[in-house]
Parts: sequence; structure tokens; C-alpha cells
Amino acid sequence: MESVTQRDVFIEAIKKKARQDKDIIFMSADFGAPALDSFRDDLPSQFIHCGISEQHMIDMAAGMALAGKKVYVYAMAPFITLRCIEQIKCSLALMDLPVTVISVGGGLGYADAGPTHYSTEDIACMRSLVGVEVISPCDELSTNAIAELTLRTPKLRVIRLERHALAPVYEGGFSPSKGFNELSSGERVCILSYGHLLHRVQEAAVICEGKGVGVGVIDVFCVKPLSVELAEVLNTYQYIVTVEEHCSSGGFGSAILELLSDNDILKPVKRMALPERYFFENGGRELLLNDFGLSISNIVDKVMSVK
Amino acid sequence: MEIEELKKKAAWLRRASFEALVTAGQGHPGSMMSQIEILTALFYGDIIRYERGQPESRSRDRIIISKGHATMGLYPIFADIGYFDERELEHIGTRDSMLKIFGNINIPGIDATSGSLGHGPGVGIGYAMAAKKDGLDQRVFVMVSEGEMYEGSIWESAMFAAHHNLDNLILILDRNHKIILGDTEDLVALEPIKDKWDAFGFETINVDGHSLSGLMDAFSCIGNTNGKPLMIIADTVKGKGLSIMEHVPAWHYWQGMTDQQLKESRSELL
Repeated sequence: MESVTQRDVFIEAIKKKARQDKDIIFMSADFGAPALDSFRDDLPSQFIHCGISEQHMIDMAAGMALAGKKVYVYAMAPFITLRCIEQIKCSLALMDLPVTVISVGGGLGYADAGPTHYSTEDIACMRSLVGVEVISPCDELSTNAIAELTLRTPKLRVIRLERHALAPVYEGGFSPSKGFNELSSGERVCILSYGHLLHRVQEAAVICEGKGVGVGVIDVFCVKPLSVELAEVLNTYQYIVTVEEHCSSGGFGSAILELLSDNDILKPVKRMALPERYFFENGGRELLLNDFGLSISNIVDKVMSVK
Repeated sequence: MEIEELKKKAAWLRRASFEALVTAGQGHPGSMMSQIEILTALFYGDIIRYERGQPESRSRDRIIISKGHATMGLYPIFADIGYFDERELEHIGTRDSMLKIFGNINIPGIDATSGSLGHGPGVGIGYAMAAKKDGLDQRVFVMVSEGEMYEGSIWESAMFAAHHNLDNLILILDRNHKIILGDTEDLVALEPIKDKWDAFGFETINVDGHSLSGLMDAFSCIGNTNGKPLMIIADTVKGKGLSIMEHVPAWHYWQGMTDQQLKESRSELL
């Protein structure tokens, strides 16, 4: 079966519900997808093209949400997060409005476009906003489940999606209720990740297993809020490694450190993240990740160094 | 309400706004005083459609004070039209009061939390679009300051509103000429501001923002704009009505008053 991109999966789920619910409104800042073409054709009165005006789109989403609409806003990750962070704060978070921000192309997803199109500070910025949930699913099944979650219980969320299709992680089913899933349990070391890099982490875990080191792998798709339940799981391990396609300042690794601190859990934590710089290099996403410390062997080495 | 009655109401609102500032001991008098006649015409000239005592009404017109620092000027009106008990006005800005220096949606009648400049028009457009989609005959009034004209999001919103023929959107620019550090034309010129809004596709009207008859004439254009959103540029004086603060940039913020200044100011407002 041909893989479908996360955005197509997400939009398709929204469209299915929007056919019966005229209050669902989908806004785009000139950002498309095959599923969105179909949405625009079939439900034109529920689609709004906002121009390439992310700030206006967020403000308008707030007004529509205040008027009772269930609003989805959609654009490339760097522009729908950092460009309009003040709008997300003042017009959405301050009024606690149930708007879903769909942010596509996290990390270096748009390689080789360069740093204007990369989103390597979005997790830090978005998770700092009061009451905003930040979710990043890793495959089709979980993306569909997250889309259904937004329909079932609308609230202010930022959904960080991948640009490209990802291989399946969840075969048998996926529940978003806990905010994380322990994909495999290990003895001493646990690796935490989400989204695109989770796939590298899984490959690294297999290699570690081959070296006689069983590591736990947890998909922390809900980067914010992190649960006490996750802290309790982490407390069963001796070493924790976080892996993310994001700068290290204030990102997912920082969030895990905060979780452990807040729950009085003192454990060694190694954070693997992009270095504190912008990336102008060519070579494609996979090579860039390899070059900047996030290769599979880098992850294996990190695990072996702390085991 | 006839013009002479409206003038009396405006005088009342100016006194009430002043007393709100005195009670709070903080706030933004310059902008609150420049908008008095505009708010008077809107609420007492039968322009804004509301139901007395029914701030929760879904069908009532919406009002957003995008220049959120002046939202306090709505409180006396909201008490007067029964949105909340007028005794609330006696402790504006105190620790336990629901009435804050900047408005938020937890206050009955406030349709958008505001304070940061440049958001009101976009939020108003969201309301206006939703009303059109729902087939509601609802108008959305958004009061903006000239300080907001410097925010890029204003122009993003302007372009969108005109493209979508949002003739239920009425922007009112309280053009009191002053921003915090001085006169707009000395700092970064805004003029010709009417041409800019015309060019963005609005029906644009210049009016003396302290003339109630002029404002009533301008508001009579609502619904008669050939599908265009409306921008009313109200020429006003910052701090209008109080000699201590008219045209004085420092009175953007409440500066505090001596007993003598309070006495003189109150006498000017009689």
C-alpha cells in the first residue's frame, strides 16, 4: 500500500467529519495537499484561503472560534509557529480558544531549503505558551487518531506533522490517551523521541539489542503536556536519552528534564538534538541529520556510552 | 436619541471614564477621552444593536476595542445597559474587581481580549465571516488606534476583508494623532491614511470624531457600501475635554493628579 503523508491523513479525517458538521472551518495560508484540493472542491464554504498572512489567519481563527466555529489553521511549520507566535499567544492562548494549528515540516523537513524553512525552535516556543498542547505523531495511524482527537475534544493544540510519508510504527492500533507509548521496554536505558527521528531511534534500538543491550523506546508524541505517568515509567530506568530534530535549547529534552525535576526523579539524562546553529548546507535531510550528530550510529554510541 | 441628548450622554460618559481612571489610579486617559463621542454614538445613537442586560446574546452586534488600553471606557456603558451591576464601577482595577485595566472576555460584553495592538481587525473579521456563514444579520465594530496602523497584521486583515466583501465589518479609527512618543506625522508619517484604506478596498469616510451629528451621518453608511467593509476615520483630540491632558503625549498614561487638579478637571467635565 502506498504511504500517504501525514497532512493528507489529517485533512482527510477532518474532511470526513466536516461533511456533517458545517461549523468545521479549515484555513490555509497558501499551503496545499492533495487531500486539501479535495476538501476545497467538496466543501468550498468551509475552506478559507487567508493569503500568505499567517498572523491574520490566526487572528481570524480566533474570531471564528469565538463565534462557535471549530477552526483548523494550516501552514508550513516555521511560518505558522514562530512568525505568528504573538497571535497564537494573544488571540488563541489568552482566550483559551479551541483552534487546531497544523504545522507541517518540523525540523529539517524542508531540506535543502535552508534555515528560513526549517523549524528547529518551534517546540521550545510553542510549549512555552500557556495551555497549548503540542503533539507530533510518527506515522499514519497515529496521525489519524490525533486528528480524531481534535475533532472529539477540540482545544488549542499545535500538531507538528512531517512533510513526507513515514513508515508505520503502530500496526495494531494507537491510543492518544496517555500522551506516550512505550514501544519496547528495556532494562537500564530508555530512549525517548517523537516524529521522524523516532524511526531512527527504533533502528538504533535494534542495533543495541544486537550488542546485548536491551533499550526501552518511548514515543512521546504529546510533547506537552507530559504526564506523571510518563515520569513513573522513566523512573524504572537508570539512564534516559532524548532524541529530537530541534535545537537543544528549550526543546523536548528540556521538557523531559523539567518533568523529572518536577517529580523529584534524579536520573542521568543525555540530550541529543541539533547543535546551536543554523543550517545552510546541502545534502538532504537524512545526510544533514547524520552530519549534525543525529545519525543512527550516533544514537547507538550514546546508548553504549551510558549503559 | 436626539443629538442634544447624545451630547449629554457623551458628557456623562466623559465624566464616568474620568472617574474610572481616578478609581483605578491607572489606565490610559488620552485614548479613553478621544473615543467618547464615538462610543456614545455607537451605543446611544441606535447604531450598535444590543439587548439590555443580555451580554450573552448570540445575535447582538459585536464590539472590539482593538486598542485594548482604552477598553476601560466601555465599562460605564456596559453597566448603564445592564451588562453588569453599576456598583462594579466603584472598584475598577482593585484586586478583587472583575473590571481590569485592559478588557478580557471574562467581562460581560467584552467580545475579545485585547491589549497587544493589531489583532482586533483580524478577530473582528473572524466574527464577521462566521456571521455571514451562519446567515446572521450581525455587524462587527472594531475600534482601532492610529498606533495600530503601524502593525503589519492590520493590512493583512484589511486586504482580506475587502476581498471577501465584509460589509458587516465596521472599523473606526480613533485618529487622535498621538502615539506615546509624540505626533505620528513627526515620528513615522501615516498620512495620507484615507488613501491607504481606499486603496485597500474599504469604503472610507473622514469625520470629526467629536461631532455627534457627523458621526451619526458617517454610521448611516453602514449597509450602504456596495459590499465593501467600512472604515470611519474619526479625527479626534487625545485627552479631549481635559485641559491638563489635551495634546499632551505623557497623558497616554494616567499621571496622577493633585487634589486641586482633580477639582479643576471635574469642573471642566460638568
